[in-house]
Amino acid sequence: MSVETNIRFQSPPELSAFRDRLSSERRDDINRITICAGTGCVAKGSIRVFEKFTEAIESRQLDATVELKISGCHGFCENGPLVVMKPAGILYMEVRERDVDDIVEKTVTTGEIIERLLYKDPVSGERARNEDEIPFYKKQMRVVLRNIGKIDPNNIDDYIAVGGYSSLAKVLSGLQPEEVISMIERSGLRGRGGGGFPTGRKWRSCRNAPGDIHYVVCNGDEGDPGAFMDRSLMEGDPHSILEGMIIGAYAIGAEDGFVYVRMEYPLAIERLLNAIRDAEVYGLLGGNILGSGFDFRIRINRGGGAFVCGESTALMASLEGRAGEPRAKYIHTVEKGLWDKPTNLNNVETWANVPPIIERGPEWFSSLGTDGSKGTKVFSLVGKVKNTGLVEVPMGITLREILFDIGGGVKGTKKFKAVQTGGPSGGCLVVDVEEKGKKGAFNLIDLPVDFDRLTEVGSMMGSGGMIVMDEDDCMVDVAKYFLSFLKEESCGKCVPCREGIRHMLTILDRITNGEGSAEDLQLLEELAETIAEASLCALGTQAPNPILSTLNYFRSEYEAHIFEGKCPAGVCKQLVTYSISADNCTGCTLCAKNCPAGCISGEPKELHTLDSSTCIKCGICYDVCNFDAVIRR
Amino acid sequence: MEEKEASQVLVHLEVDGKSVSLAEGSTILDAAKLLGVQIPTLCYTPLVEPYAACRLCSVEVEYPRGGGKVVTACNYQVWDGIKVRTDTDKIRRIRGMIVEMLLARCPDIQVLKDLAEEYGIEKVRLEKQEEGCILCGLCVRVCAELVGAHAISFAGRGLDRRVATPYDKSSDACIACGACALVCPTKIIHVEDQEGREIIHEELSLGPSKAITLPFMQAVPNIPYIDTEHCIHFQTGECGYCAKICDRDAIDYELQEETIEVDVGNIIMATGFELFDPSVMGQYGYGRLKNVVTSLEFEHLNCAAGPTGGRILMTDGGEPSSVGIIHCVGSRDENYYKYCSRVCCMYALKYAHLIKEKTDADVYSFYIDMRCFGKGYEEFYHRLLEEGVQFIRGRAAEITDYAIDSDEEGKLIVLCEDTLIGALRRIPLDMVVLCSAMKSNEDAKELSRIFSCSLGSDGFFIEKHPKLAPVSTTSDGVFIAGGCQGPKDIPDTVAQGAAAAAEVLSLIDRKEVEVEAAIAVVDEDRCSGCKLCNTLCPYLAVKYDEEKGVSVVNEALCKGCGTCAAGCPSNAISARHFENRQIFAEIEGLL
Amino acid sequence: MSFEPRIVGFLCNWCSYTGADLAGTARIKYAHNIRSIRVMCSGRIEPTYIMKALYEGADGVLIAGCHPGDCHYQEGNYKALRRYMLLKRILSEYGIEPERLRLEWVAASEGERFARIVDDFTEQLRKLGPLAIKESIAEAMKDDIDPHEAHNVESGEADEA
Repeated sequence: MSVETNIRFQSPPELSAFRDRLSSERRDDINRITICAGTGCVAKGSIRVFEKFTEAIESRQLDATVELKISGCHGFCENGPLVVMKPAGILYMEVRERDVDDIVEKTVTTGEIIERLLYKDPVSGERARNEDEIPFYKKQMRVVLRNIGKIDPNNIDDYIAVGGYSSLAKVLSGLQPEEVISMIERSGLRGRGGGGFPTGRKWRSCRNAPGDIHYVVCNGDEGDPGAFMDRSLMEGDPHSILEGMIIGAYAIGAEDGFVYVRMEYPLAIERLLNAIRDAEVYGLLGGNILGSGFDFRIRINRGGGAFVCGESTALMASLEGRAGEPRAKYIHTVEKGLWDKPTNLNNVETWANVPPIIERGPEWFSSLGTDGSKGTKVFSLVGKVKNTGLVEVPMGITLREILFDIGGGVKGTKKFKAVQTGGPSGGCLVVDVEEKGKKGAFNLIDLPVDFDRLTEVGSMMGSGGMIVMDEDDCMVDVAKYFLSFLKEESCGKCVPCREGIRHMLTILDRITNGEGSAEDLQLLEELAETIAEASLCALGTQAPNPILSTLNYFRSEYEAHIFEGKCPAGVCKQLVTYSISADNCTGCTLCAKNCPAGCISGEPKELHTLDSSTCIKCGICYDVCNFDAVIRR
Repeated sequence: MEEKEASQVLVHLEVDGKSVSLAEGSTILDAAKLLGVQIPTLCYTPLVEPYAACRLCSVEVEYPRGGGKVVTACNYQVWDGIKVRTDTDKIRRIRGMIVEMLLARCPDIQVLKDLAEEYGIEKVRLEKQEEGCILCGLCVRVCAELVGAHAISFAGRGLDRRVATPYDKSSDACIACGACALVCPTKIIHVEDQEGREIIHEELSLGPSKAITLPFMQAVPNIPYIDTEHCIHFQTGECGYCAKICDRDAIDYELQEETIEVDVGNIIMATGFELFDPSVMGQYGYGRLKNVVTSLEFEHLNCAAGPTGGRILMTDGGEPSSVGIIHCVGSRDENYYKYCSRVCCMYALKYAHLIKEKTDADVYSFYIDMRCFGKGYEEFYHRLLEEGVQFIRGRAAEITDYAIDSDEEGKLIVLCEDTLIGALRRIPLDMVVLCSAMKSNEDAKELSRIFSCSLGSDGFFIEKHPKLAPVSTTSDGVFIAGGCQGPKDIPDTVAQGAAAAAEVLSLIDRKEVEVEAAIAVVDEDRCSGCKLCNTLCPYLAVKYDEEKGVSVVNEALCKGCGTCAAGCPSNAISARHFENRQIFAEIEGLL
Repeated sequence: MSFEPRIVGFLCNWCSYTGADLAGTARIKYAHNIRSIRVMCSGRIEPTYIMKALYEGADGVLIAGCHPGDCHYQEGNYKALRRYMLLKRILSEYGIEPERLRLEWVAASEGERFARIVDDFTEQLRKLGPLAIKESIAEAMKDDIDPHEAHNVESGEADEA
């Protein structure tokens, strides 16, 4: 995995000669076992699996014919740890340490496939041998994630072997900065960080901004709860981000770049640092890149984990060493950004989109997606969906395709209720599969997902979080959850955001406690207007989105809380009562055994009773009852 | 400078339907000010960069190409063709909600209550807090950007945000300039005195309230000066605001004090007087008790250009309901100055009259004798008697804040013997004015040596003759006028000044100086040329003439002291008018 | 009737004479025994003046000048002080008590002080009693007072003529 330190490419042809050498040296006769080392799989024990593999191979003296390596996140985190066996391309899922010997004994030595580790279709029950056969992957289009899962993120040679840095070589082989910008403009690429600003136009403004010094910044301060697209990219394919930044810096005329990564991503920082080191050794970064005379350096800055530092001006303030507080963007950062110099800031995913655009041409890119939104988008699909994980889909795909074809439908027996997109400041959209059309325009299950459609319906693309909710989720509670996140993350500088979010949260608390009134809804709407219009930065102006969208699509739930004193989803404790149905109770005693408050009594095989005066409304009885005998109202 | 102005690009825009043009880089707030359009602000001051945190200055901007948004006027730079609306329903709703949010946070802050009234907020519907600070950041920014002290900053984030000193400890970085308290819109910052640290600015301070100020309203020349001890620039090197805004470039921080030598033929000494510092008189509690002020401080309060704009206010900003005036503080006092300061009775009467005129306060005047000697003065005293001023004959014994009943609670109590009714009295008051003695300047002694003119036992200069030469001194060409000669009021001072000027003019008009007639002369026949006299003369007026072999006296230099004559061993020098035989004759005649 | 000493006072024009004048204008009561002679400066006072006064029948001589540092002529009073110290020693050689000569600093403002000094000096002299100078010594004194008297008288007579 170590880099060949005696190599330093002096020109683009030297790089491609090296790539040819790599492919000629590549042996096709050996087994390659790739173990996913994305955060999800690591959490599920993939490092231990990797170590076990190492042991097993050493003990059987298979070193010569088996090559072990790790890769970035495959996206199918639900079923990790994932192991890919090449050249056959077999994908094993949920591989535990105990499975390793089996795999080595059978698959490695005899080629026998272990059925139980293969993907099993939840509907048909059929097993799938490799990725392409699995619906989760079949509907995806992996542009940004093209290398993840295939290459070792710590090995620059791996990246070069799959065509890495060829876009940079192409740019430095005679493309003028203007031509590069024009290519990005023609591709129709829009910023993937949430704003959706046309990337090419941003680059052009920054290039044209007066001043000798320009900076490029990569925003890796991914703070949305449940989102891990950027993290997977930084951990799984750091070189493609660096390559995008180098190309961008060349187009803009910058000599210094910064990657701002939150402290909570130590693995991402480590892999980026490795990548920068290796790229510098190869002469792909630093002074006189590929002998072109173009200099560019990248430094990593660790953020303290403040959500607001994902906002560009706050991020720059933090980079400068000041408190991460936003300032007004009436003068754009492309004119006065970092240290008041023209600064071009793009999100991790945006940067990673650049090399494929250069390599395959802007026309190819703009052929993907919809009119206003080109290319693909990576979503982190989480919540009440079967296949949680990281998915990359072309713009314009419908929610139905994402949720069912890729996501595999709802988890458990409940019905889909809503999808929340765009992170904490996004909105909740109604999705109702079975009763299609019943809720009219509100049912957005067939909404094509792109920047403009999502904004139209009161949510946003954001950085690509997608949280799926079912009937057990209370929308008032959901709004409360996101708002309390924003309350914690507001920097406190401007009045509407600092004070307004607090007051909205107080009102939501009131409503979920059953103390709400009709005026509260009016007050929420008034507060929302001021916060949305008058806040200093996007954190504030978008903060009312969770409330506005739930008020818009699920007003009846609010009204149920206020006027009927009920929480339809049974989430808001103050409004829920539990009782035991005489019809269904079999007297199995399971609920009584599990009740932490000891408020359920009854002889075995007889009807149980629940003393609601001591009930703490934890809902355990409801969850454990196998006969639907516990009633929640 | 002019070139810059010429190349400045003007942009044209509309604010509330009114057209205005102003320089590129200006803000909407600048444009509104130019048009007289009111936009409320809380976190804005021209002293530092706009911060746009309170969002109260939100206005609607309509772009020339269509569309628009809500922006903050304080930092939105104007550009050609935009239309600004400052008073739409939406803007009123937004501002109203911001005020309501702030008022919920800080229910007792006056500036917010005023804004609430303006925006028709009758009831705060939001959950209330008991904060005072609105986190506008003015104090923090002024401390950092203008003062350069960086003594306070924001601590905590989001809802925990607050203004704090480093580690919440008293910070050495604080130069106690009080700028933070001055800019605070909520007025909740108090600068407290701490040992060894002098407060530069104090609310309602009776001294100059700014470090750059006119010495006094009628000062000649009428030019402000910088008090370097209190000027922030001289403490931290920052600020420099006065230099920034002075379009005449008249501020020069590098200027040093310099001594200018002027050759003159006559000098009038009008060095004035000093006010006795009554803090040494412990019984009156000056400097210890609040609202005990000297006559000069009270004059400051009264001054229309003073810190209170001429309103008579106590340190808490309220109007007093009763004021006492104590005469003869330090004067007519065996322990301090035996003499009468002469002007106090009359200005005390004036104060009593002004207090009656400006406030509803009761006025008590504590006097020993009422000395109303001038023209119309006695009549004025009678008028005040009719106005209801309480005159209590008797020296006030003590001022205390120790209350013995509820009427005295929170008051200053003056203890005195009312000799007219023959009773001891305790009079509770809100404010007491001490008519401090006029005393000679500290450096009068030094001046008297420099100018060879005498000081009286009271420390004031002595005139050559009280009746015949009232403004002359024993030194020719040196005259005195005003307070340096003795306590006197303004008419007397003016008269003396005019007299001294007239004396000088009469000398100038003569165009020649009469030399002293009583000088020494050398009898050349007797002079042995011993040169003893040469060393005796303090004016080097006696010189040895090498040619003649004798000493000679320079008549222009000789002042006629006669020391040389007294020292001459051969009696060759005689002092005219004081010759030996004249003196001998006197002696003989006397005995 | 008690003995009334006769005192000759040599007062400098600027401080002491003014001080004496102040005592007068202030109507301060003091011993009438002093007879004052004004000189411009205490530095003008020749020792012979004191001798002359004593010779002529004064019981005591007071020299008064400005306070040190206050001399109108800068340093005349220091000269007076030095001459006074020397003269004190010479007086005893004539058999005259040195206490009969006194030097005091009196400022223009010190009318009261002047009066007090005069009163005090008068009392002191009253205790010492009248000054009696022996005939032989008186002869010597006369010569010492004015060795040039003949010349002066001559010229004086010549003037008169």
